[in-house]
Amino acid sequence: MTDALLRLDRVNSFYGPVQVHFDLSLEVPRGQIVCLLGGNASGKSTTMKIILGLLKPRSGQVVFDGQPLTGLTTPQIVRRGIGSVPESRRLFGTMTVRENVLMGAYTRSDAHTVAEDYDGVLDLFPRLRERHAQQAGTLSGGEQQMVAMARALMGRPRLIVMDEPTMGLSPLHVDRVLEMIQTINRQGVSIFMVEQNASLALQIAHRGYVLQTGRIVLSGPAADLARDPQIRDAYLGGAQAA
Amino acid sequence: MFPTTLGPWLDYTINGLVIGNIYALLAVGLALIFGVSHLINFAHGSVYMVGAYIGWLCVTKLALPLPVTFVAVAAGCGLLGAVIERVGLRPLRNAPRIAPLLATIGLSVVLDQSAQLLFSPDPRALPTQLPTWRIAIGGGSIGALDLLIAGVGIGSAALLYGFLRFTKLGWAVRATALDRDAAQQCGVDVDKVNRTVFAIASALGGVSGLLVGMYYNTIDPNMGFQAGLKGIVAQLIGGVGNVPGAIAGSLLLGLIESYGIALFGTSYRNLFAFVALILILVLRPNGLFARARRLPPEPLTGTFIAPSRPLVLPKWAVWALAAAALALPLVVQQPYLLQTLGNAWLYALLALSLTLVAGTVGQVSLGHAGLLAIGAYASSLLALDAGVPVLLAVPLAGLVAAALGTALVYPSFRLRGHYVSIATLAVGEIVTLVILNWESLTRGPIGVTGIPPLSVAGKPLVSGQWVYWVPLAVLLAFAALQSRLLNSHLGRTLRAIREDDVAARSYGVDLNRYKGLAFAVAGFIAGVGGALMAHFYSYINHETFPAPVSMLALTMVILGGLGNVAGAVLGAAVLVGLPELFRAAAEYRMLIYGVVLLLLIRFRPQGLLGTV
Repeated sequence: MTDALLRLDRVNSFYGPVQVHFDLSLEVPRGQIVCLLGGNASGKSTTMKIILGLLKPRSGQVVFDGQPLTGLTTPQIVRRGIGSVPESRRLFGTMTVRENVLMGAYTRSDAHTVAEDYDGVLDLFPRLRERHAQQAGTLSGGEQQMVAMARALMGRPRLIVMDEPTMGLSPLHVDRVLEMIQTINRQGVSIFMVEQNASLALQIAHRGYVLQTGRIVLSGPAADLARDPQIRDAYLGGAQAA
Repeated sequence: MFPTTLGPWLDYTINGLVIGNIYALLAVGLALIFGVSHLINFAHGSVYMVGAYIGWLCVTKLALPLPVTFVAVAAGCGLLGAVIERVGLRPLRNAPRIAPLLATIGLSVVLDQSAQLLFSPDPRALPTQLPTWRIAIGGGSIGALDLLIAGVGIGSAALLYGFLRFTKLGWAVRATALDRDAAQQCGVDVDKVNRTVFAIASALGGVSGLLVGMYYNTIDPNMGFQAGLKGIVAQLIGGVGNVPGAIAGSLLLGLIESYGIALFGTSYRNLFAFVALILILVLRPNGLFARARRLPPEPLTGTFIAPSRPLVLPKWAVWALAAAALALPLVVQQPYLLQTLGNAWLYALLALSLTLVAGTVGQVSLGHAGLLAIGAYASSLLALDAGVPVLLAVPLAGLVAAALGTALVYPSFRLRGHYVSIATLAVGEIVTLVILNWESLTRGPIGVTGIPPLSVAGKPLVSGQWVYWVPLAVLLAFAALQSRLLNSHLGRTLRAIREDDVAARSYGVDLNRYKGLAFAVAGFIAGVGGALMAHFYSYINHETFPAPVSMLALTMVILGGLGNVAGAVLGAAVLVGLPELFRAAAEYRMLIYGVVLLLLIRFRPQGLLGTV
């Protein structure tokens, strides 16, 4: 077995009578960026929910750092060292930027190091320093994405799971966000990101998986996937993009 | 009646602000609870009552000093709040959205009835040890207790602000209210947040009860019902879930009531609050202080009632049961038994009516007893004052109840979920209050005496068998009619409105017309039921059909299975008939209903026969 930080092992999940995942297995190796690609309703976001314990699989398990997460609640899973950047950011709209970012450190009780980390995170996102007293809901989409990433970092996670981090952002902000993800990754945090925009995700990812109606249909190093004709046809705009 | 000098007005203002402070202590808790759990806590008034009784025990039995009493009340009620969250609500987290609402109603009945059994229904005096001086201000005056209440109100608000703004747990509360999932992903234990919020809200509610007991120097086990409603009204005025809004709404409500009493008299007191409630719900459902006039945040999306496969009786069995029921008086002759069952059939009419509205159309009415009252009064007054023969007065009363009931609920048709329940609750209260105050028509608090019995060709139908047969015959007729209706195109349309009103509307269903039709049919059935009751009882007053009757009807309907016609009859027979037959001590009956409601919601939400 490879040295995987996160491993999903033959997960079958359901919404009521509807099966979402069929024997879903995947791995996030330590220190890597792994992306999960797929179209609408392929089960991408549900994979996030499974990892975070917001939805319990009917069979199969999620293993983090060698420990199965079965039966743990979301807060307990977060305490194990998994941070999240949810789909469409999900900030606490009427709380200030500072409060939002510090909510990410909710599980930590070391006030001193939290303050240091907060300063460090603001160095990473200088824009947020200017806006720290502003209500998070009043920020632009790109700024909100920064808050969401800063919030995830504050829990000192070993893995951050991100749901469509570039969705709804202007091209300028998309590039910024991708750079930030790489910066965070270089600091030793593994990243698992779910993306619909395959070409963007494969630019920065080490590995990729392609999910189709709840099944992994393709996986491999990102560079290989980017060259794969199937992927180019299905997700990269086919011949036009070539 | 109209004070012309400034002095009394100052007194009314002070009084309004004091009462407003008391409401604020309730409303802030309701707002907090709504914020994190999207639930309007109908048990909050009962916690307030418990607070008053803990205070009474501390002051009169233990002779504790006042500060210790306050701490004891806050601690006791805080604990009670945490228990309510744990046993009443947490197990229902994944249940249909109606379940927690009904659970809080059940808990409130259990708490009120337990207090009644423990401390007797009689009011108790709650003396204060405060000095009796008063400071005169420009013709008005302020006493020590007024200042204490203001101080507790302002102090609590400041503490709460500090908690929410500067503590980690306070942040978690705000974050959970804004986005529950995202809060969990930050590591927030949402259960702990809920428990904390229930504890804080209940502590404030308990202190409010203690203060009000001291203010009026009287407490009783039923004081919580009205107070809880006032808290809900105040919270709605400010905008649900909005804590500062709840405080402002409470002060406003206190002033409205105080000035209203000054102008119209004490017996109108509660009317102002409920009329204000209906106006707010209809005109500004997001509260006075909402920036935009949006639709209210709707906590009740998704399936409203528990889906299930109903038990379908074969046709011959239905006929056999009906025939057996009709033949019963030929075999059983004890008048007491027949009378009890006759009463059960009368209540079954109410259940039939409610199961149509709450079950089939999904509009959970909490004011259904109001329809009984309208029918009863209409029929009695038509017979007594207008000389209409009873046989004609009863169906006319049904029409009156249908028309009045629909008209009163009509403004609330655009509301959904919890809001419908609150609006109908208020409508039920308004009916009672109008009956009490419109003395020239209804004879006010004295009630209507000497109501003539039902009679055919001059022969009064008062003997044992008729008391049984008449309600049963009417019930069977309506039940058959309602079953036909449910199996028709109309029934399917009504259920479509329940399942997804947006989808129904997009298919061209005129929601108001169909809801109106359902309420009219329900009003007619309940109105006839109320009319029959009046002619059998021969005396009615504004307390013959109190709010607990509405709760009882809801319990019957849920017991049988929401929307289920046979279930409504069964529910009424079980809940009215059985306790009577087993001679369960009368004072335990309401407690049993509350416990039954709680157990049903937890373990068999689809009822005995299943929802339709």
